[in-house]
Amino acid sequence: MNRFWKWIAGIFGVLLVAAFAMLSYMAGSPKDVYGMVRYALPHMHRGTLKVGSDAPDARIVALDGVSRFHIRERTHERPLVLVFGSFT
Amino acid sequence: MGDVVQIYEDYKDHADFLTVYVREAHPTDEWQMKSNVKDDVCYAQPKTLEQRVAIANDFTKRFKFPLPFGIDDMSNAANDAYAAWPERIYIIDESGRIAYRGGMGPFNYKPEEAREWLAARYGAVKHEAPKSSTKAVPASTSGAAAPATPAPAASAPVPAAK
Repeated sequence: MNRFWKWIAGIFGVLLVAAFAMLSYMAGSPKDVYGMVRYALPHMHRGTLKVGSDAPDARIVALDGVSRFHIRERTHERPLVLVFGSFT
Repeated sequence: MGDVVQIYEDYKDHADFLTVYVREAHPTDEWQMKSNVKDDVCYAQPKTLEQRVAIANDFTKRFKFPLPFGIDDMSNAANDAYAAWPERIYIIDESGRIAYRGGMGPFNYKPEEAREWLAARYGAVKHEAPKSSTKAVPASTSGAAAPATPAPAASAPVPAAK
């Protein structure tokens, strides 16, 4: 039994190292794995919207920093291509 | 963003466009990437709306970004409603329903899918194929540079809050 658990622990350890190595490779470096887990994963959500869902509204700030408008104000006569992103 | 700009140029007569700036993906005080340093895109995560507005203005000016532009406010309402972070594309039809839901970036961010949706409705816009590579001179020997990264806007990475 003792030997069995050693094998399980060994296999688990190998899988953990392999997963970390794979993530490091995919993310770029071990530091990026930390960044991904610490900062990216908590903010990544698949969301519940589907094709056919009512598009949610949200108030958006204009580039002047003062004016506001709503996304739904822009969805009337033509389709609206909505692109989300940031600088970095 | 180049793909999106091209789609905008191709279909702006048929569809409306809106870019919404959401919280930074790779700020200096969180998960900064080497490429951000290389491209001199170094910003801390905005803590105030003024900082967000300043970065958004920096972006649109630096890249002469032509799409209509807006900023998610500090409540991240648009981000939350659309699960937008770090980057994502939707198309909303005239009836106010989601007609296309893009995948979550960066791996599933595929502007070409939005282009396909627009092309299916308004017709494809063809672009000239790049010239034959046999005549191309490698940039490293011709002295030609790769498409230039815009010049650094400023050495101070974080726009000051007003």
